[in-house]
Amino acid sequence: MDTLLIAAFEILSFGAIVVLVVLGLGIIASMMGIFNFAQGEFVLLGAYVTYLVHSVGLPVPLGMLAAPVAVGTLGFVLEKLVVRRFYAAPIVAMLGTYALGLIIREAVRGLTGGLYLSVPEPISGSITIGSLHFASWRGVIVIITLLVMAASHALLAYTSFGLRVRASLENPQLARASGISTGMIYSVTFAFGAALAGLAGALIVPVFSLFADLGIRFLIQGFVAVMVGGVGSFAGPVAGASVIGTFSAWLPWLMSPVIADVLVFVLAIIFIKFRPQGLVSGRGVNR
Amino acid sequence: MSSTGTGIQPPPHVIEAARSPGMASAFAGRMKVLPILEVALLIAASIAPLVLRDYITVYATRVLILCLFALSFDLVWGYAGILSLGQSLFFGMAGYGVALLSRDFGVGSIFAVLPAGTLIGFVAALYLAGFLLLGRHPSSVVFVSLGTMTGAYTADRLARGSHYLGGQNGIPSIQPMTIGSYQLSEGPGFYYLVLAILVLIYLLSRFLLRSQFGLALAGLRENEQRIAFFGYKVQHLKAIIFAISGAIAGTAGSLYAFHEGFVWTNMLGVVMSTQVVLYVLFGGSGTLIGAVIGTAIVEGLSFWLSDNYRDIWPIILGVLLLLVILFRPLGLISLVLGERERVGHFGPSLKEKRNAAP
Repeated sequence: MDTLLIAAFEILSFGAIVVLVVLGLGIIASMMGIFNFAQGEFVLLGAYVTYLVHSVGLPVPLGMLAAPVAVGTLGFVLEKLVVRRFYAAPIVAMLGTYALGLIIREAVRGLTGGLYLSVPEPISGSITIGSLHFASWRGVIVIITLLVMAASHALLAYTSFGLRVRASLENPQLARASGISTGMIYSVTFAFGAALAGLAGALIVPVFSLFADLGIRFLIQGFVAVMVGGVGSFAGPVAGASVIGTFSAWLPWLMSPVIADVLVFVLAIIFIKFRPQGLVSGRGVNR
Repeated sequence: MSSTGTGIQPPPHVIEAARSPGMASAFAGRMKVLPILEVALLIAASIAPLVLRDYITVYATRVLILCLFALSFDLVWGYAGILSLGQSLFFGMAGYGVALLSRDFGVGSIFAVLPAGTLIGFVAALYLAGFLLLGRHPSSVVFVSLGTMTGAYTADRLARGSHYLGGQNGIPSIQPMTIGSYQLSEGPGFYYLVLAILVLIYLLSRFLLRSQFGLALAGLRENEQRIAFFGYKVQHLKAIIFAISGAIAGTAGSLYAFHEGFVWTNMLGVVMSTQVVLYVLFGGSGTLIGAVIGTAIVEGLSFWLSDNYRDIWPIILGVLLLLVILFRPLGLISLVLGERERVGHFGPSLKEKRNAAP
């Protein structure tokens, strides 16, 4: 029973990490139709900013607040300079953002010297319930993920900014004719997606430690999750990430980690093959 | 999100113009860059080992093998619009396959290992294409790229975890390839063998792409739906070209395994797959010579720069790639090669047609 509960917590916390990483990717893919191959590197950059703040002697939580701001700003600038040119050609966008990701990844590799750098957990220790111990930081990640998810959904579904985003998505011409600056909306949406990735990187760096290939680890996982969930809606990527995260954390309890890792992806690809629209086939943001 | 667009689309009238005999003959005098380029490169490649130092010849042999690999990616992406981000799967599987043949069965004869590697690549690509491309729902480009990428990642992980395949270290010290009783080690001999194979496959691909099959492929790259309405089985065409490209990647992989003398997991994984995407985008997808030039330039630059600027070389490569994608979507080759010549003409040559006409 005890092991079961601990396993359930492990699965929940890993699922939360995947959801957090995928959220930004999913928002950019669903809202803008761009598969951002640099998303993994935005996660990496968030982790790096946190490390940087920590290494100059400032408290880690400050770094975690700085990371989304820094990465979001970079996302905004990159959208203005580069990504903007790709909207007409989604496939070229994949290659272009891939190049961006390559630049960021190799830059970070140069800056970290190819080492594994660790950042301490801001809240260490564990919560004890009865005879069970749960790592507190993982619990915090679960809670923050839920909050961020709810806040993102509220932002897109209930605010006037969200309305504009959805309008620009559904019918850019009409949105422009109604006086919405779709260019600005796209920039801000991209920056928002990047900021979410930055936050994800900041939160997970104590768990995974910082290394240059941190982003790649999540890139395939993220894309598979978005496709399984269904591109085009808010709920889709979140659902897909939950499923992929759960399986990724659960299967290693049953079989060797290598087989489990591979099996998740293969099963996901087979699923997408037979249900290309994904788990959630609707479009837009449900209220 | 469009599932059919390839992004790099010349306006349709360009193809029309290139195909209509009147227009083409008016420009016939100017349509000569491509053959000149090909012949010049062939001559340069043929005399290279005579003037280069030995260790550079060895490096050049590796570049030629990678050119072959780049051709295979160019066939699927540049000509059929299939974004295969897992092309290394076939390259690496063939490499591992021939390495096992050599290690466990002592087979090293070129007449056994090259066909074996090619077959491995072909069969693997055929199966993957059958799964990813065929079926009731036509697959989106994103799905195919994700599927191929997952394939490469999966193979990489499995090879890393497999004791039989040598795990992280791969399979070291493969015995040299033999022709009869002659042992082929790296150097000019190997170089000319690879060059001959590259030229042969280049010519075969060129012939294939200028046939009716190639015309149908170009059509489906430009407008998949229209080709489907003409009655072509679009998915089958894609699967065929995918399998052919897998075979070529397999040939390259088996040559690579014997040239390097060992195989390791990077050959299978995402690293190699992205490498080949870089080559082809750099040189110019949609022209065979572009893939070759791109490989030569990227590898040449990296040979020259990585000694002095080892740390920042990957960053430079990324920046160059981004600039090429942004400002030269058709690759460096488009600096010298016009749109009309890039698209080219199909079927029997125009001269024959004119002679046949009354």
